[in-house]
Parts: sequence; C-alpha cells; structure tokens
Amino acid sequence: MASTYVKSVTGLLTAAAVFAGATGASAAERVKIEWWYAISGKLGDTVQQLISDFNKSQDKYEVVGTFKGNYEETMAAMVAAYRVNQQPAILQSAERGFMTMLNSGAIIPVDQLMEKQGYKTDWNDFIKPVAGFYIVNGKPAALPFNSSTPILWYNADAFKAAGFDAPSDTWQGLEKQLYALKEKKVIDCPMALAGDFQWSMIENYSAINNFPFATKANGYGGLDTEFVYNKTGVVGQVARMKKWVDDGVLKIAGQGVAPISLFTSGTCATIVNSTASHSGVEADAKFKWSAAVMPHEEGIDPKNGTIGGASLWAVKGKSEEVQAGVAAFFNFVAQPGVQEWWSKATGYVPVTNAAYQKMKAEGYFKQNPTREIAIEQLSRGEPTDNSRGFRFGNHNQSTAILIEEIQAVWTGKKTPQEALDSSVKRGNEILRQYEKLHAGK
Amino acid sequence: MPASEAIDIGGGAVTRPRYPLRRSLGSLAGSSEVGLKASHFRRPWLAVGLLAPQLLILLFFFFIPTYKALSLAFVQVDPFGGTMIFVGLDNFTTLFSSPEYRDSAILTLWFSFVQCFATLFIAGLLAFATDVVIRGRAIYKGVILLPYAIAPAISGVLWAFLFNPVVGPLAHMLQDLGYAWDPNRRPFDALLLVSVAAIWKHICYDYIFLVAAFLAVPASVIEAAAIDGARPVRRFLTVTLPMAAPTIFFLVVMNFVYGLFETFGIIDTITHGGPAGSTNTLVYKVYQDGFRQLDLGSSAAQSVVLMVIAVVFTILQFRSLERKVNYQV
Repeated sequence: MASTYVKSVTGLLTAAAVFAGATGASAAERVKIEWWYAISGKLGDTVQQLISDFNKSQDKYEVVGTFKGNYEETMAAMVAAYRVNQQPAILQSAERGFMTMLNSGAIIPVDQLMEKQGYKTDWNDFIKPVAGFYIVNGKPAALPFNSSTPILWYNADAFKAAGFDAPSDTWQGLEKQLYALKEKKVIDCPMALAGDFQWSMIENYSAINNFPFATKANGYGGLDTEFVYNKTGVVGQVARMKKWVDDGVLKIAGQGVAPISLFTSGTCATIVNSTASHSGVEADAKFKWSAAVMPHEEGIDPKNGTIGGASLWAVKGKSEEVQAGVAAFFNFVAQPGVQEWWSKATGYVPVTNAAYQKMKAEGYFKQNPTREIAIEQLSRGEPTDNSRGFRFGNHNQSTAILIEEIQAVWTGKKTPQEALDSSVKRGNEILRQYEKLHAGK
Repeated sequence: MPASEAIDIGGGAVTRPRYPLRRSLGSLAGSSEVGLKASHFRRPWLAVGLLAPQLLILLFFFFIPTYKALSLAFVQVDPFGGTMIFVGLDNFTTLFSSPEYRDSAILTLWFSFVQCFATLFIAGLLAFATDVVIRGRAIYKGVILLPYAIAPAISGVLWAFLFNPVVGPLAHMLQDLGYAWDPNRRPFDALLLVSVAAIWKHICYDYIFLVAAFLAVPASVIEAAAIDGARPVRRFLTVTLPMAAPTIFFLVVMNFVYGLFETFGIIDTITHGGPAGSTNTLVYKVYQDGFRQLDLGSSAAQSVVLMVIAVVFTILQFRSLERKVNYQV
C-alpha cells in the first residue's frame, strides 16, 4: 500500500517535471514581445486573433498583447512605464498622439527598424491619406495599423418611415431631415453624439469644408502653429449642435452608456462615428442600417476627411532579439493578406493599395458598399493645407480643453463664440509650452 | 547575557548603565525627562530593525513620492522625461491665476461642505432611530451598512446608468414628473448626482461611529433625564448629542477628508468631472491634468497644494482625537 503510494507520487513528480521541462523549453525558445493596445470589445477580440495568428505562423517569437484602456489611458501607462524602464516593445498610439510620440525620444522610427532587421517594406504602397499623415520627410515614423475616419451611420427604416431615401449630403439638408424625424414622431432621438465628437464634428468637419484649423498648415509647417478655429465655420457648427441639443434632436449619451449602442439598439436614428463601428453594428443592429459620407456645408466643394485610428510604434530600450521580433510582427501585420483580413473583420480601412485593390478585385465593396465609404471620404478631392491632417504637440491636452469648453456651450454657461475663443486661447498656451520644450526638433 | 536583558523597556532611566554605549543611550533617555515615555533599547540596531518596516513604508509611499512631486512642481517636462526646463514658481502662478483652478477649488469646498453635513445629518437620524427600532434591528443595521461594501467604481457605474438621461429608468421617471433631468447639460444635476452618490456611500461610515457613540452614553444619565421628564427627542438633543460631540467632531474631519480625497472613483465613473468642469474637484483635476493630459508640472504643483491641505486636516484630526480622550466619560 505504502509502496504504491510512493510510486504514484514519484510518477506524478516525474510527469510534472517532464511537463514543466517541456513548457519551460518552449517558453525559453520563444522571445516574448510585449504589445500594449487600446481597442476593446469586438475590435479587441480581433486583435487577440491577430496575435494568435502571428504566434502560430512562426516559432521564434511570442507576442503578448495587453489591453491598457483607451488611447489616453494607454499613452499614460506608456509614459509611466517608460520612466521606470518597464515599457512594452510595441505601443498602439492614436493619431492624436503622433507628434508627442514622434518627438518623445522613446521610439525607433519604423523604417530604421525594418531596414536594420533586413526587411524590405514598400513605404510607397500606403493609400494616399494614410501616407499623407504618417510619412515624415519621406519616411514613416510608425506603422499605420488601424486607420479610420468618421462616417454618417443611419437607420434606413426610420428614414424610410419619415419619407426619405437617404440622408442629405449637406448639413442644412440633414438638419431638416432630423427635425422631420422628430416632428413626425418616427423616433424620439434623431441623432446621438459620439464620445469622440471633437474628431468627427469639429476636426473632420473643418477639413472637409476646407476651413483652417490652425496656422502653418494645421501644424505641418512647424511647432509655431496657432489654433484659429474660433474664426471659421466651426463656430456655426457648434451653434448648430447646441440648437440640436436644446431641441432634443441631438442627444448626449453621457457616462455609463456607449453612444454607438444608442444607434445599434435603435434608440437614435443616426450617429457620426468611426468606420470601425462596422463590426459592432453588423453584429448588434437588428434593423436595416446603412451609412453615408459625412455631410458638408451647402455650396462648398467638399474635401477629404482626416485619418483617425492608430499606428504601432517600436519602443526604444529593448534587446536586439526583441527588436527582431517586433520587426517580424510588423512585417506580418503589413502583409496584404493580413491587411485584408483585418479590414474585413473590423471595418478599418485597408491601409495599403495592395490590400485595397485585392478587396476591390474580389468584389468585396460591391457586396458591402458601406465598407468603401471611408476610403471614398478620405480620398475625396485634392488635399489642401486645411484637409491634410493635424500635427499638434500634446494634442490630447488641447483636445480635452476643446471638449470641456464645448460642454460649457451645452450647459449654457458660454456662447459658442466665447467657448471657442477660450478654447483657442488655452490651446495655444499648450502649443507654446510644447514649442518651448521641443525647440529645434 | 540572558536574552531578557537585551531589551529594557520602561525602566531605562532607572537602570544603571553598564557599558559606554548604554551609558550614552541611558543619559539620552535621562535627559529627556524620566517617565513612561523614556523607554530605550540597549542595542541601536534592534531599534532600527524594529522601526525599519514602518520607515520603509514611509520612505516608499510618502517620502519618495513627496520628493518626486516637489521636484516636478518646479519644472516643465516632456511626458517621457526627455526634456526638462526649470521654471521656478511658474507652475504655481499659472495655477493660481487660472479661473478653472479657482472654480475647481470653490466647487471642492462647496461639495465637501454639503457632503459632510448631509452625511452626518442623515447618519445621525438613522443612528437615533436604531435605538427606537426593536424588531429586525439586525436587518436594519445590515441594510444601512450595505453600501459601504460596494466598490466606489461599481456604485458609480450603477448611479450613472440609473440616472443616464437617455436610457436610465430613474432619469425617465424624473423626466416624466416634468423635471428636465440631464446631468450632461445641467451642472446642477451633475453635481447633485455626484453628491447623492458620495453621501449614500459614506452614510454607513458615520452611522457605525454614531451608533457606537450613542451606545457609550451611560444609561444612568439618560434615565436621570427621563425621570426629570425629558422625552426621547429632548434626551437625544440635550444629553446624547453633547456627550457624543467628540465623535461628531472626528466625523466632521473624516467626512471632509473623504469629500476632498476619496470621491475620485465616484466622479470618474459618473461624470468624468464634467460637464464643463462642473464636478471637477481638486483631486480629480490632479488626475485629469497629470494622467490624462500628461501635464506633469501643473499636476505636481496641484498635488503639492493638496498635500498642504492634507497636512492641515491631519493636524485637525489629531486634535480631535485628543479632545475625544479628554471628554470621554
């Protein structure tokens, strides 16, 4: 009895040792590559799928992805980690953080990394709006990953019930339709306000209507750029939104509720939100939905919208073999096949021409017309200094101020003009502070 | 030497020094008044060893962060620490001249004040009622203590959802009653919601202390008042309440500390400090400016200001504890 017990224990121990040895060996062989990302929900599931596909595709590296909260929270986590040398090897950072990351001194420009590790990447193959944003002096600083732009989502059933085929392509026309939806009692909430409305309703609005947002080509021309959006059509846009909010046409979701869920649940008839909402809307909306390009002002020749989403940055301070792993992962992500799969699974735009043409050739956009709207909107017209994009240092900070000031318009504490004047003044202080810290960069 | 002789607590001043080292320590203890407090260790490393855990905690959680905050408060710095410019008192002057900071300070004061006394008042009523409730007293106490067991973030999410102007059931009820409830657009509604959530969460804390304080009032005193013809409410106001005064003073301080420093989770989940900064208290602003906007210089300056406030409250709290000792029957 006692001997069997001893035997079985030794047996177990041997088995455990063998098992530990086996897993230990495979873990030791694989180099761990830490990646902090910032997208969640269905998009987050797709990120995990991408990681597991990469890990299965080779046996040298293991990418470990960690969700670190939204873009601002991920950036804050990165800053805290970098200061104590605990940073990840790869960081997903939003377009808003581009300048901050670029001048941080904490990154390896992606072209240098790829060249050093012996990968040949065709940096000219990015679609124009993506290249226009991420390429600095002919070279990309980060790998464009999830690129999007805001589009107008609408409940086709509700529009039909109010007697409209589709939303108007001007704000004036859309205003009449939204009021009609409410007056005809088709729906109580004609439009929901997105959480990142400053990106869609203010910045993209400004680009599409060819209004200058700041001097020096919206920051492309140097760090001494100054905000000027308090002197453009943006003032009228904020006034219009205020009127809509007061009349119950535009509803603010507020804390505890995701604005897009107001659309997918059928509570609100429209929302201007990222094209990346495709995966969520396709899964959750139980009505006939569609999408359209963002409206523009009457009598204006609309320009391209600006890119949103994020890119992947290679972070400094990692060993040679980790860097090699980062390059291998970037190379994997940039494959046309992976790009195509990623775009289809999420709704983000394909960032390379190769992937875009591939999807087009197989008739994907014929079957899913709303998937092409973002690309159409991003490449509409010839880009001007006003529509190319935004390059501001500490853009997160000036954005937070803009949102706070616009909230003062919702509460009635300030008129649109007062709020935007104050926002521009405070925003410029941040630009000057950044310029002072990064003079000569 | 027997182990028991290694430590000599209490009688240090009386024991005759046998070794030079002890002599010096002994004379130190002797010089600082002979008495209960004049204990000492014969081997300094033992004293250091016993103090070490506490000192290390203080070092890592107080002194190093304080040093960091102080050093950051006088510079402007790139978030990644690449560039740093010494700016002297600029961060403080900008702060004190900023209308946003002034608004936040006024708001914090108002919020802490209302929260403090509303909590105390409601908790006082409930504690008074505890004496009256005979049946189901355990259940009564349990229900009141429940909110304290819920994490601030969870309770915040619940409040935010229940009173969400678009989908919240309680918000719809208010709107049906004709009140245009909308915490996204009406600063008062937002502040009210945050205040109610904060009070609801903290009533239990005050309640426990008040029940204990009321129970500590000797029955003989209350009976004497009853024999003199005082009814329950009168007895409560003229006998129980004054005798519980030290506890109440202690709770006032604690409530202020709670309102000032510990409502972060509730604000973060219910309003994010909005709309337009109308619920952006000083502590939340430190987080907003430092961790969301990465303006570390200003955030550090703000935390230095908060540190000064915290020190003032700590002194007040110690004094309240002393008063409590003096008044206890």
